[in-house]
Order: sequence, then structure tokens, then C-alpha cells
Amino acid sequence: MISRKLQFMVAALVIAILGMGFYLVHLKRKAESIGSGPAPQALVAPVSGPAEQMTLYLASDDDYGLRPTTISSPLPGDPGERGRLTLHTLITRYLQKNSEHPLGAGADVHDVFLPDPASAVVNLNAALVDSHRSGIEVEQLTVFSMVRTLKAQLPALTRVRFLVDGKSRETLAGHADLSGWMDVAMVTDACRDLK
Amino acid sequence: MPKDHAIIVRVAALLLLLLTAGFAAEPRRVEVYAPQSSYQVDILVREGVDYVGLTDLLEPLGRVESRVEGKKLKLTFNGAEAEFEDGKRQFRARGVSGDLPSKFLLVDGRGYIPAAVTARLLTRVSDQPAEFHANPRRLFVGGVQFRYTAELRHSPSRLVLAFPAPVNPSTLIERGRVRLLFRREPLVSNGTDYVSYGDPFLASTTFAETSDGAEFVASTLQQATVSMGDGGRTITILAGSAAAPAAGNPAEQPQASSPAAHAAHARPFVILDAAHGGSETGAIFSPTLQEKAINLALAKRLQKELETRGIPVVLTRIADNLLTWDQRAVSANTSHASLYIALHASTSGHGVRLYTAMIPTLQPGQSSRSFLPWELAQSPFLPQSNIAATALAAECNSASLPVRTSSAPLRPLNSVTVAAVAVEVAPLGSSADELSAAEYQQKVVNALATAIVSLRSKLEAGQ
Ligand SMILES: [Zn+2]
Repeated sequence: MISRKLQFMVAALVIAILGMGFYLVHLKRKAESIGSGPAPQALVAPVSGPAEQMTLYLASDDDYGLRPTTISSPLPGDPGERGRLTLHTLITRYLQKNSEHPLGAGADVHDVFLPDPASAVVNLNAALVDSHRSGIEVEQLTVFSMVRTLKAQLPALTRVRFLVDGKSRETLAGHADLSGWMDVAMVTDACRDLK
Repeated sequence: MPKDHAIIVRVAALLLLLLTAGFAAEPRRVEVYAPQSSYQVDILVREGVDYVGLTDLLEPLGRVESRVEGKKLKLTFNGAEAEFEDGKRQFRARGVSGDLPSKFLLVDGRGYIPAAVTARLLTRVSDQPAEFHANPRRLFVGGVQFRYTAELRHSPSRLVLAFPAPVNPSTLIERGRVRLLFRREPLVSNGTDYVSYGDPFLASTTFAETSDGAEFVASTLQQATVSMGDGGRTITILAGSAAAPAAGNPAEQPQASSPAAHAAHARPFVILDAAHGGSETGAIFSPTLQEKAINLALAKRLQKELETRGIPVVLTRIADNLLTWDQRAVSANTSHASLYIALHASTSGHGVRLYTAMIPTLQPGQSSRSFLPWELAQSPFLPQSNIAATALAAECNSASLPVRTSSAPLRPLNSVTVAAVAVEVAPLGSSADELSAAEYQQKVVNALATAIVSLRSKLEAGQ
């Protein structure tokens, strides 16, 4: 015959095990939810070294503007990696809840490649393009904000080309022409009409 | 008397039944134009999707063999293999897999594919170019489609249509209208589906692809006759009457009271390009409201407004059909117009935005006659485009419409060889419904029309 005391201990152990199990599941979910949300700035820049000034040209739909915003962030020395990190940081801002120029969930940049110091090939992911709102102005703002942000970090840049998943696309979402090289000086010039 | 009544009711009921049966049985078909022949394929509608039979589609084009294995259909067309599965969207053709827009159907051992995918599938299994025009349900295989040119000549006034191959349309001449219907010819749009001539004989012409074929309509202000020439390669629509007595009553003829007739020049001044169309919808504002439709409504409204002000107009499209960027540019460059206006609509932001091409202006010393690549063809015309944008902005301002101007990487502006501006219309408030409201459209159109009228002397003088 099992004593009452033993029965009580077994029951207590079972409850404890179940409780710890639930707590573990809870912790796991919490960790996953952090991972899937917009990455906080600290996770965006896993680069060690001294922090530098990173300038982002943030687009605003309502007042049709590109606002230069400077943040402090460690920047890699490699120009391609530097470009990728900058654009990733910019896009992450657009994915935040109160963004003034929202992009679709999952939007990101795969990589930035510089065939020479004056040229950058930006390889966007399909999520950015497929979920992009269609219209001349909204598409123009996205493209201009990326080109100006890149230029701010890579001053030698004179032209930029956009690819999507490694392939060339006619337009961003039916309007902005992505089929060829975009002249950085001309983008800067066109931005004089923006706020 | 009650007996008569009953008979009448029965006859009426029978007629009604026959009539509805007739309508229900109205066949929907895809018209296929191929180098070997033109033929029709019946449409089967399932769950709101138009399907066509694979064998019906392919048999006139080559050797087809197919066999059913369980839920799979294996097909060989001129030696190329393809495999489909009932209820599945995925298929394989020549060892490469692809996706149908809707599931494949196997009905009584026969395979059916969505009509929308016919062109893509044909290209995959036959290496031939193919193009499907969804609304008129016309499929062109092997690049057979051809375009026409139209030229208005004088003394006597006549419109000469020229075709690269002989044509034989059915012709209907009515008062004020000549209608040519091309049932068998793979005739497609030349990119100017509406042209206003403002000529005492010819007011305007329209072109549209319908499920009956291609339809060309000339709106005439005098009695007209039609004659064929050059072995069926030209059609001339000219003033006068073949049957002499019919022309004897001048009172019958509509006088030149149409606004278009006031226009002094036969040459159009402006070409209006309703952006997007067909499968290319532009922005989708709601499940029932797409940008392409708003653009077309704006273009037609602007056309009307300009014609009442005596400005001859050309429209690139007057229906829901797809034109490529290059087709639009070619239309603009061959229309002899002095100004190209593209019309877009958006729900982002407010008011009117004006865009010119984002390309370099010609450097001093660079001749505008020197060779320019197609992507930079607009370059020598940028000063005129800026003049046009400035005038349009000023009139929007006067009409209290928020307006801004900038340059943008936007096709086909960079390839147009006349003054070229793209207009993007956004609502004043935040509701997309405003874009389809007649009142708002008219307000925008009035401002644009006033500016275009003022531009006429400036732009035509420069040519
Ligand atoms: Zn558009």
C-alpha cells in the first residue's frame, strides 16, 4: 500500500513538471515573437567597432518629403556591406508601426554589390517589391530615399541599379522605372522639389 | 375571348422561353489567329473562370496526342511533352514546371486550361510567340497580328487606311458613321484608338477590339463612301455617295455643328494616354475600383473638354486594353501631336502631381539632331516639357488644387519626342471614391484643359 505522503509527493512533482513545461513553452514563444517582429536597432547592426554617423533619408507620404535623419551606428568598412546595412536600417524604419512611408511585411535588401566605387547594384527582396503600393509618387519616394541614403554613406557613388531577387524588373510597382542605371545626381536634383 | 387570351399568354411564354434559351446558349469563344488558319475555340465557364479545351486549342496548330492516366493528362504537341493533373494548378511542360492561374480541369477525359494562360502555354510548348487579349478574347499565335495606318488626305477629303496584308471587312455606312468590322483579320490597335481630325469631312475615328473582331468607326460630317484598293491593302473612306440620289438631300446631312469641326487644324495638338489597361491594372483602390479605369475616365473627360474648346485630340486607348510603354511612345511620336499627357491616379497624398522625364537635358553644343538612344529620346524636348508642366501647375493652382511638379524615372516619358508630362491625380480628402466622382474629375480636367489651350501657341510655334 502506497502511503498518503508518497501519493502527495508524486502529485506535487507532476504539477511542478507540468508547470515548468508550460513556462518553457511560454519562454520559447516569447523568444520567437521577439525574433519575428521588426528587429530593434541593436540587432540591426551586429558590427563591432566605433560607432559612426549613419544618415537615412526618410520618406514621408503626407508632406512629400525626404527627411535626413542621423543615427549613430557601427558601420562596416566594406562598401557593399556598408550599403546593405544602411538600406536594411532604412527599410526597418519603414516597417515600424508609425512609419510615415510604410512598406509591406518582410521587405528587405538581400545585398548591395559595387562593381566599381561609383556604381552600386542593390538586390532587393521580392517581398519589398511585391507588396509595394502602386503609384508614381509612392514609388518615387521609396526609390529616391534608398538612392540618397546610399549616397550619404558611399559618397563616391554616381549611379545605382536595382534588382529583385537577383533579376532585373521593369518597374517597382507599375511606375518607377527600375530597368536601367539611375543617375545619383539626377535623383538629388529631382529631390530639390521635395521637402 | 378568354380562350384567345390563353393562347396569347402561351405564345408569349413560348417566345420568352426561346428568347432566354437563345441568350443562354449564346456561345462564348476564343478567336484564335495563327499563321496556318484562324479558328474558334469554345469557352467552358467553371467557377467564374473561362476555360478552353487543350485539344481544341492545339489540334489546328500541329500534331496532338493525349492520354489520361488516373487524374493526370499527358500530352504531346509536335513532339513536346506536357503533363497536367485534374484539380491542380501545377503543370510540367518540356520538363519545366509552371503554375496555372486556376486549377486544371479534366472533364470526360478532356483537358481544360484557363483561357488566360493559353498564350503562355503555347509559347512554352511551341516556341512560338503568342499573345492573348483577355477582354475581346482574341489569341494571336506566331506573331500574326498586324496594325494599320490612317492618313487624312485633302481635295477631295478622304481617309486612307493602309494594311500590311489584304483585308476584307464587313462595311456598314450609316448617316454620320462608317463602320468596318474585321472578323477574320488579326488586326490590333496601332496605339491611337481615338483620333479627332476636326476636318469638315471627318470628325474622328475610333478603333476597338471586340469579341466579334476588330472594329474601326469613322465619324463623318458628310455622306461617305468606301472603296478598296491595292489588292485589299488599302481602304479609302471618302466624301460623296455611290448612290447618287442619296446625296441629293443636303438637308439630311448633319451640318458642321460638331465642336470638333471648329478646330482649324487636322493635326492633333495633344495625345492623351490613359496609363495601364488590360491585365496591367495599375493601383488597386478597392475590389471594384482600379487605377486603369479612373485613368481612362479622366482621359475621356479631358478629351471632351478639349474638343469643346476646339483642340484636336488623340487617345492611345479608349477601352480596357493593354499597351506596352514602347507602343505608347511610338503612338505619341507618330501622332504629329505637340504635347503628350499621361494620366495616372493614386490614393496616396492629395491633389495633382506633374512629372517630367528624369533624364539629362542636352548639353550646350549637343545637336538635337545627333543620334540619341531610345531611352533618352525626350532629352531635346525637356525644355518644352517643363514649359508644359509649369503651365499645368499654374492652372491647378488657380483652381485651388494642391499641385507639385518634379522629375521621375517614369516610362514612357523618356522616349517621347514631343513635350511630355505625366499627371497623377490624387483625391483632396482621404477617400478613394473622390477619384471616381464626376465633380472632382471635372474640376481637375477643367484646370488641365485651360492650361493645354494656353500651351497651344507656345508649343506649336516651336515646331
Ligand atoms: Zn499609374
